[in-house]
Amino acid sequence: MENAELISLSRQTALRRQMNVVANNLANISTSGYKTERSMFSEYMMPVAEATTFPTQDQRLSYVWDRGTLTEFDAGPIKLTGAPLDVAIDDNAFFVVETEQGLRYTRNGAFQLNTEGTLVTSEGFAVQGEGGPISFGPTETNISIAADGTISSSAGEKGKLQAVTFDAPQQLTRAGSSLFAGEGAIPSQSLFTQGALEGSNVRGVVEVTEMIEVSRAYQSLANMMKRFDDLRKDAVQRLGTVRA
Amino acid sequence: MKALNIAATGMLAQELNVEVISNNIANMRTTGFKRSRAEFQDLLYQNLRRPGSATSDAGTIVPAGVEIGSGVKTTATPRIMSQGSVQSTERELDVAIRGEGFFSIQLPDGRTAYTRDGSFERDATGTIVTANGYTVGSGIIIPENSRGISINAQGSVQAYLNNDVAPTELGTLQLANFTNKVGLEAMGDNLYLETAASGTAQIGTPDDPGYGNLLQTHLEMANVNAVSQISDLIAAQRAYEMNSRVIKAADEMLSSTANLR
Repeated sequence: MENAELISLSRQTALRRQMNVVANNLANISTSGYKTERSMFSEYMMPVAEATTFPTQDQRLSYVWDRGTLTEFDAGPIKLTGAPLDVAIDDNAFFVVETEQGLRYTRNGAFQLNTEGTLVTSEGFAVQGEGGPISFGPTETNISIAADGTISSSAGEKGKLQAVTFDAPQQLTRAGSSLFAGEGAIPSQSLFTQGALEGSNVRGVVEVTEMIEVSRAYQSLANMMKRFDDLRKDAVQRLGTVRA
Repeated sequence: MKALNIAATGMLAQELNVEVISNNIANMRTTGFKRSRAEFQDLLYQNLRRPGSATSDAGTIVPAGVEIGSGVKTTATPRIMSQGSVQSTERELDVAIRGEGFFSIQLPDGRTAYTRDGSFERDATGTIVTANGYTVGSGIIIPENSRGISINAQGSVQAYLNNDVAPTELGTLQLANFTNKVGLEAMGDNLYLETAASGTAQIGTPDDPGYGNLLQTHLEMANVNAVSQISDLIAAQRAYEMNSRVIKAADEMLSSTANLR
């Protein structure tokens, strides 16, 4: 009887994590360049944690195991912002950003200039061009970014935005601040759109339905555990009644 | 439960988003106003299982790990310094900047502020001042008995004194530009202050390379687009609602656990 509770418990733990993932997706529904995260579950044949005094061969216990979270890398909607330093990048490429921990990759193209006139992210990390960071002088105007990533201003051509792709983007880890970390970046030719940003690819409807599903599943498990408890209480009462 | 905190960060972010949007809409008719936009980023992740770590001695690896995020944060509310539309006012001391640059304004406390709002006035001494009475630039004085004030595209202020046939040059309105205009600090009254992020002001004459030119009897309107602001507002409100639903769902899960007895 305890086995049923252990199995329910494994499911409840997994559901709580799934709820956290859904909550994080919904919290980031308006984060530029954010990619939806999904929970993956698999059946786990439990060899050790069993509360059976006499284990039988045909009764295998299968627990729920949240094996991983995968990132949905499909493109988010492109929103026109009108800001000259906002750049959207096509389908599966990433911008390269230099942080203190090394190179990081992002799809959030909301760039700015810092005091030195260098193109940076809103966290202040330098955006990498094909020949290093891209800087502008104090009196340069009319910054324009061509579709192939070439940046030019009133002082002429300034450099070219670097774009990379990955063979196995699922191997990328999330570093917070819209950044991804990982190895095996492949330089790519990508299309850039100036004055536009890629929105979050979180779909509200999908997340809300998943949230309802999670909370109902959790409740039904709680009910089930209560039933088992009642059953056991019943058994204890009946079996324990001593006939005088 | 973590979902409660995560959804709370989402609600806070959307609340701030609505604040920024409402400020843009409130300033839709403010001369020289530049709209802001709230920018968000995801918070740190908790790695419960790292992708790429070995799962067996045969060299198999975890294809996708378990990463649980912890919500959203607001990183910046940058101003979008694009040109606003220019409207004719037929007032001779209204000046619009077409292109880059800010008018410099002397504050009463000695600091210098910068503005795109060119709705100037004359004070009792004839000095060109802002609507709040702060001196514009180094102070250009228009004498009492002058008529026909003209400000040309290069910022030169001229007027006909007494009964003169030719106009007299009274001074030049100069423009200040910054490496990073978005880094300016807004102090209200349509004024901005220089910060470490904006870089120091580069003073120049209008129409020089890198500077805009001036247009007399016109004012620059706010660069707020009502339609996009309202659609942003709707999106922000719905996102807020969805996050509050998460809090409710997490609460229901917790209460069903609490009622297990």
